[in-house]
Amino acid sequence: MIAPLHTLVAALAADTTPQGTAWLPPAASNIAQSVDPMFYAINWICYIFFFGILAALVYFVVKYRVRKGQAFRSDGPLHHLPLETSWAVVPLLIVIVIFYIGFRDFLNISTPPKNAYVVQVTAQKWAWNFKYPNGATSDDLYVPAGRPVQLTMRASDVLHCCYIPDFRVKKDLVPGRYSYLWFQADDVSGQNPHNLFCTEYCGTGHSTMNRKVHVLAQEDFDAWLVEQSQWLDKIPEEELFFRAGPKIYARCQQCHSLDGTKGIGPSWKGLWSRVHGGEGSNEKFGDGSTYASLIGPGKKYATPEDYLRNSILNPGSELVGGYGNAMPSFKGQLNDKAIDAVIGMMQHLDDFDPKTGKYLKEAPAAPKVSMK
Amino acid sequence: MTTIDASRPIDLASRPDNYLTHTRGFLSWALTLDHKRIGVMYMAAVLVSFFVGGVFALLVRTELLTPGQTIPGVTADVYNQFFTLHGAIMVFLVIIPSIPAALGNFVLPIMLGAKDVAFPRLNLGSFYLWLAGAAFTLVSLAMGGFDTGWTFYTPYSTTTTTGGVIPVLFGVFILGFSSIFTGMNFVVTVHKLRPPGMTWFRMPLFLWAIYATAIIQVLATPVLAITLMLVVIERTINIGIFDPSMGGDPVLFQHFFWFYSHPAVYIMILPAMGIISELISVHAHRHIFGYKFIALSSIAIAIFSFLVWGHHMFTSGQSPLMNTLFSLISFSVAIPSAVKVFNWLTTLYKGNISLTTPMWYALSFMVLFTIGGLTGIHLATLNTDVHLHDTYFVVAHFHYVMMGSALIGMIGGLHHWWPKMTGKMYSEKLGTAACIIIFIGFNVTFFTQFYLGAKGMPRRYYDYLPEYQTYHVISTIGSYIMASGFFLTAYCLLSSLYSGRKAAANPWGGGSLEWQCTSPPPHDNFAVQPSVGDCYDFRALRWDETTQGYVNDPALAAEAARNPLH
Amino acid sequence: MTRRLRPRLHEIRSTDRTKDLAVSTLHTSQATAHEAHGHDAHGHGDHAKYPFLQHHFDTPAHQFDSAKLGMWLFLATEVLFFGGLFVAYAVLRSRFPEVFSYASHYLDTLMGGVNTCVLILSSLTMALAVRFAQTNRTKAMVWCLVLTFMGAVGFMVIKYFEYSHKIHEHLVWGKSFYVPPPDQAGAEEAKVISTAPAPAPVALTVANPAAPSVASLVSTPPVEASAIKPAAAAPGGLASVREQATAEGLPVADNDPAFAHPSMHLADPKMPANTHLFFAIYYCMTGLHGIHVLAGMVMLAWLIWRGARGDFNSNYFTPVDVGGLYWHIVDLVWIFLFPLFYLIH
Repeated sequence: MIAPLHTLVAALAADTTPQGTAWLPPAASNIAQSVDPMFYAINWICYIFFFGILAALVYFVVKYRVRKGQAFRSDGPLHHLPLETSWAVVPLLIVIVIFYIGFRDFLNISTPPKNAYVVQVTAQKWAWNFKYPNGATSDDLYVPAGRPVQLTMRASDVLHCCYIPDFRVKKDLVPGRYSYLWFQADDVSGQNPHNLFCTEYCGTGHSTMNRKVHVLAQEDFDAWLVEQSQWLDKIPEEELFFRAGPKIYARCQQCHSLDGTKGIGPSWKGLWSRVHGGEGSNEKFGDGSTYASLIGPGKKYATPEDYLRNSILNPGSELVGGYGNAMPSFKGQLNDKAIDAVIGMMQHLDDFDPKTGKYLKEAPAAPKVSMK
Repeated sequence: MTTIDASRPIDLASRPDNYLTHTRGFLSWALTLDHKRIGVMYMAAVLVSFFVGGVFALLVRTELLTPGQTIPGVTADVYNQFFTLHGAIMVFLVIIPSIPAALGNFVLPIMLGAKDVAFPRLNLGSFYLWLAGAAFTLVSLAMGGFDTGWTFYTPYSTTTTTGGVIPVLFGVFILGFSSIFTGMNFVVTVHKLRPPGMTWFRMPLFLWAIYATAIIQVLATPVLAITLMLVVIERTINIGIFDPSMGGDPVLFQHFFWFYSHPAVYIMILPAMGIISELISVHAHRHIFGYKFIALSSIAIAIFSFLVWGHHMFTSGQSPLMNTLFSLISFSVAIPSAVKVFNWLTTLYKGNISLTTPMWYALSFMVLFTIGGLTGIHLATLNTDVHLHDTYFVVAHFHYVMMGSALIGMIGGLHHWWPKMTGKMYSEKLGTAACIIIFIGFNVTFFTQFYLGAKGMPRRYYDYLPEYQTYHVISTIGSYIMASGFFLTAYCLLSSLYSGRKAAANPWGGGSLEWQCTSPPPHDNFAVQPSVGDCYDFRALRWDETTQGYVNDPALAAEAARNPLH
Repeated sequence: MTRRLRPRLHEIRSTDRTKDLAVSTLHTSQATAHEAHGHDAHGHGDHAKYPFLQHHFDTPAHQFDSAKLGMWLFLATEVLFFGGLFVAYAVLRSRFPEVFSYASHYLDTLMGGVNTCVLILSSLTMALAVRFAQTNRTKAMVWCLVLTFMGAVGFMVIKYFEYSHKIHEHLVWGKSFYVPPPDQAGAEEAKVISTAPAPAPVALTVANPAAPSVASLVSTPPVEASAIKPAAAAPGGLASVREQATAEGLPVADNDPAFAHPSMHLADPKMPANTHLFFAIYYCMTGLHGIHVLAGMVMLAWLIWRGARGDFNSNYFTPVDVGGLYWHIVDLVWIFLFPLFYLIH
């Protein structure tokens, strides 16, 4: 009973702090500008009805309470057609108005403007991948301020859902279909990036499938875009495994540990030895074959690298015993250079921190890059 | 127009036999065709399931005390199984059968004035199907559990590696048929076994609600059954109808699923509304206000329930036209619901309110259902739903409706008919205290979740951002308060079996037919064909100190007969 | 069918109702008269006369009407049970109309037609059985039930031949649809084709508007990369296998024996993508119907057994009547299935 009262006061004040209002998170998009008043309008209607009903309820209970043995009255009305009709019709009129406003605004929400800046979004268990028109990709979402942004989204395994609370937008990602979502954020997010959640249940990592949304001024965004599209190219081949490796591994660590812990997928620890005919190379696959029987000249995979590469691009073709077919294909997500970086990291695994994947050796001074 | 005969008490003397003592031995229960015994067995089974589902709920809430892992050993996968089990048990094993199959079975034929339901053997069969369904759920736990969420959304449910998915799908399939057969039984019973004089508009409102529910059960559940079979086939031999990689459509599953599961929400809430109509009227000793509006609003809700399933899918990418239609029709459900609430409220006006335990539950129901119903407006409105969909706002909303309303209604009904079922009175003080504790705990638990959801906290999250923790802690504390209330209720009811005082035939002053037979009722309900009057006319009743119950007073009855109410 | 019998049942009912009314009048007017007209007094005669009459029904007609209403409700659930599949059929057909008009030709209309006739005839014998039960011609009733049972057996036998033929030709659901039958010539090529990597899901045809960039960590996903499942786990053909073979640069000459066999759907260049879905829904619907026929056979056997024992007569034929209703709905479903699958052109 206290909670709505508290909200009532806060809503009356209607202060838009960085933390948002009493009910809602910060309103950071054009869509929030229209959804929030609607939310509070409905709240007010609810308060009026709820406290009205509650007051009547308490009043009647206090006033008409009787004790055992007291004589009963029987003068209450049995039915009252105009009254009953009115409380069928009045709520009907109210909800029709609410419906209409919600519907009008929803059409706007579901129709991206033609001139929107398009970001491609791929969701898979349990990571987001954002790809920009110039080919740059990122794990967090970066958008320019002050212009409409359209997310063109697809899922590669199961249902996911892209939800940005501060923007009041949400849309399911359905395998086999494209879905769209759009918004325009006018304010630069700076130190307070917005949250992006997956809100369609998708298994083990569902709750960690959240990222940040950074709104940058157009110039900053352009600069970021250029840098982001080139970072991998700028790294010389020999430095690839420790510069790019850990960054790419961030997308693998949900399932593959470095310290031997069994995850959704097998640990990378000892992998290099297994694929090279060393310790563990007789470990069985689901179909009975072993690393040793698959890898080698004249066998299915001529070199260990062939096997590793195929495991990234076609993960279902060989399943290590005891593991399910859970890994999505990274075909189209990792290019050759990125795969080389991953394989390089597997080869030099001892040089990385087994918990965090951080490179432990002294790295030579590198050009400043950011993978954020 | 009197409903209680002055000559009634002779029953106690001439027929000491009641349904509990009629025959003895395990088999006399296991093979019974008596709807009352079947109802009691359902009630026991449902309450055991409620306990199990509740334990999972507490585990979920405890795990959410802190971000990341709280309970040692409960990883994300274990947590996913916890909330899935909580949902599946509470929906399929508890709430759906709780009122129709448990209370309905016990009360419906007696209220109607019939000796039994139309198909007693089918009725027993339904109970064993329920047991089989529950057994399959246990089997699935032994085979590795399931982490699909109670909604079994494809393609997650067809690809997840947990081993118990297929058994639990079979389990729910079987539970579905249990529910269908119960529904069939009740529809035929209401149509064919009404005694002379029991016209449609003389039926107690609980029967209208059960009747409307039964129609939904019969018509909606088969679609769920075939859908679950398709998922089983998809999982085993990969036919591709729901598999996007084979040209199939995962969203088709959602349509099928909600075509059942939205009406299922009304399978849960409609009977509770029926109970509240009885409770309010009987315990306010006042003729129900607007009988026809309440009765017809049950039918209206049953019809609307089939046309609103798409509002679960506003963000799933279905066409804007469909979203619009579903939003519009969803609002229309507000009308019959509002009619009911206002009519109950007016029934209190100029009533003679006894604050008994069932009345406390009825009042709790009205408050909680109002909150649950009003927050439905936020979710039916297209633009606000986009923000709130699949957040804790939805979790809070449907707990207010499914638990705060449906289950509170069920427990209120249990308290109302407990003297009839067991022949014992429980302690009113304990019962009322427990109700108030549950009410407070419930609001602390779930009102907080409206805030959480509006702030953007998604549902089914094992881990969460630290900024949400305060709300989660409050919610978890609330769930402990609520649990203690339920334990107090259990103690209150169970202790009454041993130390409760003997219940009178009519301890509350009810006018419907079940209060005409003894507590507990005899084996075949009525020694004589009961006479049917207006079951909400309580004017002939008088409190009798010796039996601690209400009796029919011939003088009052005669006076009432001279002043017809209508 | 039941017209001639109706008056008799109504007689029983109406006399009883009169009695009820009399009782209830007594109730309202004179409360003390209850005991004399209680349950044991009224209806006792009927319960003694009809051993099958359950204690909570007043008359045989009352029991019969209740059973019949129950059966109609059950039929409503059956209609909705199949209804889910009919909706799935409609959705798939509207998404892939070409698949349905193409794949329908693989079904044997003659066998389907014969089966339709068999079921219609069995419906007739079932209706006659009900009629004979009502008119106390027990022997004729049993024979009609046996004929109905034979019809069901015939239906299942024909269905068995249809199924086994199609399964032999790999005209089945899912991935197996794309595996060539083992005994065909040119199995070598076929094997190559079947193990070829998965093609793109046809459902995804939206072009990627993003410009490609070699410098990217992630290369532009070609449409192919949107394969929903890991490529190797995806089924062997969502596009026509032939197209796929061509795309892979495999030799697919027009006179290649692997594609020359007339019954081999895999050899048909005109086969639309996703044809396996037609067979998926075909097996689901006809399979579910077949299960219902099997259940009907169990029911018929039980009716024959009870009928031969002499349980049914003009006063008590409820099981035959409601069993007949069930059998008619099973036939009716097939009447819809037959044109929906066999007669698409």
